[in-house]
Amino acid sequence: MLKSGSNRATVLLTVWLLTLIGSGCVATGSNGFFGRTQPPARNVLRYVSGPEPETLDPQLSDGQPEARIQMALFEGLVEYGPKDQQPIPALAKRWDISPNMDEFLFHLRDNAKWSDGTLITAQDFVYSLRRGFAPETISRTAGLGYFVKYSEAYKSGLAFVKKDGKFLLANDADAVDPRRSQRVGPETEFNTFIRSPERLTVEGDEAKRAKQLAADPKLAEAVNGAEFVPVTAEDIGVEAIDDRTLRITLRQSAPFFLGLFAHQFFRLVPKHVVEKYGKNWTRPENIVTNGPFKVKEYRPYDALILEKDPNYWDSANVALDGIEFFPVEELSTMMNLYKSGDIDAMQNHAIPTSWIDEIKQYKDEYLNFPEMSTAYYAFNVTKPPFNDIRLRRAFQAGLDREALSSFRKVTQPLYDMSPTGVFPEYDKARQKVSEAKRNEKNASEAEWSRYGKFDLELAHKLLAEAGYPVTKTAAGYECPNFPTEKVSILFNTGANNRSIAEFVQSQWKQNLGITIPLKTMEFKTFLVQFKSLDYDGIAQLLWSGDYMDPYSFLNLEYGKTNEGGSGFYDPKFDKMMDDANLELDPQKRYETLALAEFYLMEQVPVVPLTVNSTSWIKKPYIKGMYPNPGTLIPWKFVYIERDRAKWDREVVNIMTTPDPKVEKQLSELTSEQKATR
Amino acid sequence: MLRFILRRLLIIIPMALLVVTLTWGLIRLAPGNFYSGEKKLPAAVEAAIRKKYGLDEPWYKQYGMMMANVVRGDFGDSLKYPGQSVNEIIRRHLPYSATIGILAYFLALFVGMLAGTYAALKQNSVFDFGPMALAMLGLSIPNFVIAPVLVILFAFWLYVFPPARWGGASSLVLPVVTLAAVYAAYIARLTRAGMLEVLRSDFVRTARAKGLDDRTVLFRHAFRGGILPVVSFTGPALAALLAGTVVVEKVFALPGLGDIFIKAVLNRDEPLVLGIVAFLSILIMVFNLIVDVSYGFLDPRIRYE
Repeated sequence: MLKSGSNRATVLLTVWLLTLIGSGCVATGSNGFFGRTQPPARNVLRYVSGPEPETLDPQLSDGQPEARIQMALFEGLVEYGPKDQQPIPALAKRWDISPNMDEFLFHLRDNAKWSDGTLITAQDFVYSLRRGFAPETISRTAGLGYFVKYSEAYKSGLAFVKKDGKFLLANDADAVDPRRSQRVGPETEFNTFIRSPERLTVEGDEAKRAKQLAADPKLAEAVNGAEFVPVTAEDIGVEAIDDRTLRITLRQSAPFFLGLFAHQFFRLVPKHVVEKYGKNWTRPENIVTNGPFKVKEYRPYDALILEKDPNYWDSANVALDGIEFFPVEELSTMMNLYKSGDIDAMQNHAIPTSWIDEIKQYKDEYLNFPEMSTAYYAFNVTKPPFNDIRLRRAFQAGLDREALSSFRKVTQPLYDMSPTGVFPEYDKARQKVSEAKRNEKNASEAEWSRYGKFDLELAHKLLAEAGYPVTKTAAGYECPNFPTEKVSILFNTGANNRSIAEFVQSQWKQNLGITIPLKTMEFKTFLVQFKSLDYDGIAQLLWSGDYMDPYSFLNLEYGKTNEGGSGFYDPKFDKMMDDANLELDPQKRYETLALAEFYLMEQVPVVPLTVNSTSWIKKPYIKGMYPNPGTLIPWKFVYIERDRAKWDREVVNIMTTPDPKVEKQLSELTSEQKATR
Repeated sequence: MLRFILRRLLIIIPMALLVVTLTWGLIRLAPGNFYSGEKKLPAAVEAAIRKKYGLDEPWYKQYGMMMANVVRGDFGDSLKYPGQSVNEIIRRHLPYSATIGILAYFLALFVGMLAGTYAALKQNSVFDFGPMALAMLGLSIPNFVIAPVLVILFAFWLYVFPPARWGGASSLVLPVVTLAAVYAAYIARLTRAGMLEVLRSDFVRTARAKGLDDRTVLFRHAFRGGILPVVSFTGPALAALLAGTVVVEKVFALPGLGDIFIKAVLNRDEPLVLGIVAFLSILIMVFNLIVDVSYGFLDPRIRYE
């Protein structure tokens, strides 16, 4: 009697509590906004930045949460534009680029200072880059900068080869390339050296070199009796022509490289502080910065409190008095803080899936824009069964990606390697190439609209050709021959990965009659299997671009040891990619890249799944903050609007609605650079 | 007594070293390492990392180096957060966890013992069923459910406490209550059971027969024996509370040690994992010792030779 009584009470109470939880999710906010919506009393932005930053040192970190914080603290030559993420002037007030886009001449500001008042000169940039590329600097992102001439050789401890008083060259053909002679800026001794044909480099360490030469008899013969000169910091392609002029030379043409100078790796670090304090230089008591804000207080895992830096060269145009970054990882906790009005904005894709339908209704706050980030399922092309291209194509055609995206609610279907809707000019080029290919293949528009997309007939045909005929039964399709025991979908235990995998699994079951088992594991364990191609069949690949160019995605399948995780390697594709980067005209280059991408997608190393989106929320009184493709926010444009009439409304138009304040600030900032063009 | 304490204290050291060794082995067996990530590291950078952290040495050398540092009490720098030493991280974040933990501990003790004693005295009345039903509820609802319910009630409906983050006394209320709930429930049930047993025992009957009033019987005679089961439970419980509780720290975004520990494991941050494990194991062993010693004071049948 007693027992059942208390049981019933428990049940009743639990039901009551669950009702509470449920009703809490649909509680509406004030005045059509989500939760408490009132500008903070102080002129300070409160922002949730995601996980605790690994370090404040811009050259050592590699994450986006860190990038956002470092954008407030450190500046580089250029900064990401608030809306389009394209480079805008920062410490460089203007620049010139060589005709073949392999050399940049930056004109620096005269009034740029560190937060301790020290003047910033071109020498600081030389120091920062040499530090980043130094072999002993553990920089995870240094590889992004390997286009800077000899930087990879320096980082890897390689050596030049000197024979009979002359340095051996990497490539004889290089010596006669006429385009190489076009420098930008004055002729200097260093420039003559750095622009001279690329020198041959071999391992600098004696033991390693012996191994390298043993494996390559031709090379061994060429360097026999030669002297080995280590590549040093002074050899990399960075030169301070004077205090205000900096020149950076690349090993090859790379039109997208200007945008990369805004990456945290290329932001400036203070020589005088780094050398004095060593690894402790980023401690709050030692740190010296050069961005719009400086560190006021740092309580790890709790808050990083920044204040406006009066020494910043453009501090007159910094609207906020400070920023408080709160590290929070739990999505529902972030939403709670937002709802109670304790924060003003947060990092991208912070809305838990179960909240999306609710949050979507707040049209003045919810920002869902395409992101420079994508999801794929990679095929292990090195092992049966997916070494058979027909099967890869069949599985691609058997997956309805429109359905996947409407299931996911916040993503767009993806049919290419690089995202759509993020690079407008590239999208045009891709369209053009697709049209040309359609004509080439004599396909009707209707046929072409299905090409590479959901096509059940094709999927069944290809499966049958590969020896796995699909039969139709009363319950659907069956494919009894397919070795499902040899494959699985591998993914890690991250947020939405399981629901995606289950959706794809059910699609293939329904459309092909094949049930692929799912396999999940903790992230680091997953990485080991994924990278060593030690998985069966299919694995999830998530990617976010490092710079605003499709190359950042196509590069995934480039080279013998690429990061695509499929084990895919195709010299023909590599050649097409190389050709694209030699193209000087940006539009032509995009078309060549689009051709390469078209070819790549025909090889189906992956099934593209989705283009991710920002799925992000900010209070309407926060202005000058835009959902650009990386949600990388140049903080000096952000301001708090206290006049309710001027709050952001209908933010679906935020990118096309000009904000006079931001436009003015932007046009003043870019006028000098625009005048030089 | 003193010899007993000294002997136990001496055992703690090899025990802690054994725990560290096992943990080290387990981390080494786990696939992946602290520097593996989605994006590939340049080969030169990976080589530099391996050299810097001695990962290119044979395992017994690495183990030796690690042990030598641990014995000196220096766990080195975190691998994930370069420039922050493990000792510094523990020192910095223990106070957060400990504040929440100690407050929750006392709240749980107070509420639990009060409810348990009262229920035992009024056995089979509404004052027994009521608190015990609540205790059952507290035990069976996990704290990741209690926490959001409290947040909805007190942060969104009543707007009295912030929904998360550290800052001021008002921010402590919800996490402390969440954390205390399950312990209070458990303590209430333990106290009730202990008290019921003691109240029926001969020495209490003797005390009553001597004509002592209820209050004296309860506090002088019964209570000490009645809370024995609570004591053995709360020792390790306090250690666990002090060292942080992952769920509460996560839900309320508190900078405590528990959450840091979990992340350290996921990040394969070896020194940080070892540091926290060593610290925790010592803490638990010390609290167990305190429990054992306090038995001697509470239960006249127990003597330490």
